[in-house]
Amino acid sequence: MASIVIPSGLLLGTLLLIPSLFGDFTAYQIGLFLIYGIVAQGIGFLWGKTGILPLGQTIFFGSTAYASAHILINIETLGWQLVLMLLSVLIAGAIAYVLATMVFRGKTDSGPYFSLITLALVLIAEQLASTSPNITGGFNGLSGYEPIAQLDPFGNLYYLIVGVTVVSTMLLLALNRLPAGLIARAVSDNEPRLQLLGFATHKIKGLVFAMSAMLAATAGVLFASHQGIVTPTSAGFALSAQFIIWTAVGGRFHVLGPLLGSVVLAWLTAELRDDFIYWEISIAAIFILVVLKSPGGLAEIISIYFKKLVKAQVSEEPSYCAAPNVKSQQPAATLQFDQCHLQVGVVQILKGVTFTTPAQGVVCIIGPNGAGKTSLLNVITGNLLASKGTILLAEKHIHCRPPYAALSSGIGRKLQVPSVFFSMTVGENLTVATLAQRAKWYHYFSAKPLLWRSAYISSLLAHEALPLTHNLAKQVSELPQGHRQFLEFAMTAAAQPRLLLLDEPCAGLSTAETHLMTDLIRQYQTQTKGLVLLIEHDMSIVEALSDKVLVLHQGQVLAFASYVEVKANKDVAAVYAGGTK
Amino acid sequence: MTELIAFAGLAGGYGDSQVVFNLGASVQAGQALGVFGRNGVGKSTLARLLQGSLQASKGTITLKGQNIASTPPFQRHLLGLGYMPQTAMVFDELTVGENLSIGSKSGLAEAYFEIFPTLAERLKQKAGTMSGGERKILSFVRLMAEDTNIIVLDEPSEGVQPENISRMEQCLLARKKQGSSIILIEQNLTLLRAVADQLLGMDAGKPVLQSTLAQTSRAKMLEVLSI
Amino acid sequence: MTPVFLLNLMWQLSLLAVVTLGLAIIFGQLRIMNMAHGEFVMIGAYAPIITSTLGLPNWMQLPVCIASVALVALILERAIIRHLYGRLFDSLLATWGISILLREMVELAFGRGFQSVPLPISGTVSWIGIDYPAYRSVIIGVIILLFIGLTIWYKRSLVATRIKAMVNNPELAQAVGINTVSLSRRCFVFGCISAGLAGLIIAPTAQISPLMGLDYLIRSFFVVVVGGLGSLEGLAIGVGLIAGSQTLLGALFNQTYGYIFVLVLSILFLWLRPNGIYRNS
Repeated sequence: MASIVIPSGLLLGTLLLIPSLFGDFTAYQIGLFLIYGIVAQGIGFLWGKTGILPLGQTIFFGSTAYASAHILINIETLGWQLVLMLLSVLIAGAIAYVLATMVFRGKTDSGPYFSLITLALVLIAEQLASTSPNITGGFNGLSGYEPIAQLDPFGNLYYLIVGVTVVSTMLLLALNRLPAGLIARAVSDNEPRLQLLGFATHKIKGLVFAMSAMLAATAGVLFASHQGIVTPTSAGFALSAQFIIWTAVGGRFHVLGPLLGSVVLAWLTAELRDDFIYWEISIAAIFILVVLKSPGGLAEIISIYFKKLVKAQVSEEPSYCAAPNVKSQQPAATLQFDQCHLQVGVVQILKGVTFTTPAQGVVCIIGPNGAGKTSLLNVITGNLLASKGTILLAEKHIHCRPPYAALSSGIGRKLQVPSVFFSMTVGENLTVATLAQRAKWYHYFSAKPLLWRSAYISSLLAHEALPLTHNLAKQVSELPQGHRQFLEFAMTAAAQPRLLLLDEPCAGLSTAETHLMTDLIRQYQTQTKGLVLLIEHDMSIVEALSDKVLVLHQGQVLAFASYVEVKANKDVAAVYAGGTK
Repeated sequence: MTELIAFAGLAGGYGDSQVVFNLGASVQAGQALGVFGRNGVGKSTLARLLQGSLQASKGTITLKGQNIASTPPFQRHLLGLGYMPQTAMVFDELTVGENLSIGSKSGLAEAYFEIFPTLAERLKQKAGTMSGGERKILSFVRLMAEDTNIIVLDEPSEGVQPENISRMEQCLLARKKQGSSIILIEQNLTLLRAVADQLLGMDAGKPVLQSTLAQTSRAKMLEVLSI
Repeated sequence: MTPVFLLNLMWQLSLLAVVTLGLAIIFGQLRIMNMAHGEFVMIGAYAPIITSTLGLPNWMQLPVCIASVALVALILERAIIRHLYGRLFDSLLATWGISILLREMVELAFGRGFQSVPLPISGTVSWIGIDYPAYRSVIIGVIILLFIGLTIWYKRSLVATRIKAMVNNPELAQAVGINTVSLSRRCFVFGCISAGLAGLIIAPTAQISPLMGLDYLIRSFFVVVVGGLGSLEGLAIGVGLIAGSQTLLGALFNQTYGYIFVLVLSILFLWLRPNGIYRNS
């Protein structure tokens, strides 16, 4: 709580002093910059957490500004004015949500294309605003109305703006510390991993974009009252560009960064633009430098100095509580491949793969490099789409479902190269995995679920030999490869999926660690009575763990039998290492 | 006899995780070094360190007496280093003919069409549409046809039919006679023992066996493979 | 479909094709999301103005265009771009900053107002039974020849094969001796030069201002998105769809609606077929 209240309080105090210290005109100017700052804060949260760069926020800013102008011109009562303005903000959010979810559905790397689309939209918006005099007053804009509640822009309107700024700051600071903020960060950290944990990332992106749109829209409402006139520039490209620059230079990873950037840079621009002809070029150059060298902007630089002065508090051991059960636990089931083909570009990777697993047990998948083992897992989870054939789990088709639907079908997957959230700590990684399939929507806005621990994870951490227990506060990027394997295994198994797909879980592990991993795998299967599909190269592990062995070669099933039978199989021996072992 | 390629104290990896430690060997002209070990021990990492797509964190690599630690891969090729990767070993989107002409001067590849006739039949076919074994053969011939005398091969026989493996063996032996140095990474011990003069066995990124062919029995090699 | 409409359509198709070519190379092959693409078109469009400001004769417009664009492209490539190949999002951000920088510099040098340059070839020629502006006719012919030549070159030359190899498998390309750093640089500069040449062609028919590039940026990107990255056929299809629909709708309704339709089309493509019409990877 302190981390929310203190900065907000400081902000509030500072801003309240401005009219008395610097006079009403300065307060009027700062008011405008704060309005810009609110837009920038929304951009900063979206960009800093999810990595999405919106190049046209003035679409929302400008359209609600125009709407507010119309409302202030035509509607008399304050109550109705407020209701309609709120409605305009909500509509902006809804449109933003629909746009983002449409673009981000499917591929995980649509970010740059999305930026392009927002750019195109703002160019169109500006054109429309200039050429529709009936709606927007054309080039001259809309004016001649009273500000909301007749608040004077040189007087009390300032306090309304300050109030909205502080509320927006508190909201974002709070989100940072709630599960919602954690999940938003996870989107830009490792979207495929988040999808395999069952999160529909396109909807998350949609929600965060909608929130940034609503912040921009709220600022637009204030803008109309503050300026007394709304012109096409408020829906235009140039202002959108400025928002991005202010956000970047101010610092997109801190909530106060964009505010700082907007106030400082907009003020400097107003002061210097006429006298210093190289100002615009300087700003562009600073922006490029920040982007390439110092992505955290001014706020990051300031906070580094701040951290040196104020020593970090030793955080106490959090007390964990029991997590609720996984939604919709399903019984174990057989996996059935029927003439499955997979083509990527010009290459045929799987050519008619057909097999049916038992409902329980450990099936090891072996085969030479390039046989299609990882691709087999990819078509099960939907990371790649099979071009022909069917895949059935418990008699239901799963081959056309997207990756984020895998976990709700009871499929958990560990990737070949350990895929976890690198910018987060071990503890945060486990928290995200615990939220998967357990949290309802309202849990993301409460701090309690951050302390959830499932019984399974607690038992894992209780293992003496497991390297994770003592490293909960360590950032994953500092962990060695082997530890990341164990972390990813824990995260994958956290929701107790009935079908666990493990891609080379023992790669990079020492002998002792390999023993531990194989023990954990066997324990998992025994406890959940589910099915484990395991890609392995090490025959001793295959011999120890497998109930059945699936041999893949050049995209086809060469053999599917017990280890002993496969070992004796002449075809398999011929293909594997040309008969050396 | 001149030493064509040597490395000492070589260590490297991917970002934070170091994969290979303290590897060293020296290969003379007309000699071959055989590298073997189970999957995941770092053999391919060694190949990429020598070829240059990975930067070594420690140690030296000398090519014909020159220290090539900071030389980019294409320049190592121009100095005479040829490479056949284990995966992604052809240009999928180019035809067989284009794959062959891109590395070598025209005409050199044709000499190999007699040995591997299937290639000649598929000159206009996109490389990515061929089977894994055929792609290996294409990459092998591409490497052979290049104007290089230090060649590094990463598991060339994997997925290749036995007749073609023995043809590869003949080509490599002929190359040795011409004075090239060969570094051959293989799981196929028969091919390895036919071509190599020295052997380097690896486990967990470290050298666990290093001696000449004569002093290393097949049984000893199998031990390294099943530790 | 009157002959005039068809010729106008040909004109729009040719223009869009030559404007987009540079981006198809830089974005399609090198995976640099060049948000400054429009600015290179703009700099090329300013070449006639630069030429007359320097007091040089009119025929120097072409070399001045190539020289000025190549200089800017080379400086940017060595300083910034070469770290960003393949990094779509970082290149978007950095080139977006570069685009602002370039716009501001041109504005500083030449002012914000619209300028115009005279047609090098005035009058009309008579073909397909109507009189059509001579300049447009000549340019349409030149562009068609250019693309025919480009297609032949792309299918035959060793450099084209090397570029395809570098794009397909950069690590193997280095291993067979292709200097990918130098090749990427040359591709980038060539892409920018072709954008500049497009600007030079457009200059007599457009209002030249520092902000003119944005429109071409958006349309080029949508052509590449719709047509799919990485093939000349895809480029052709993309150009056809975008220019075609914009011209058609622009003629039927007004320009803004044509633009909106193109935008909606592109959003739909991104939604349904993120790899473009022409599947190439």
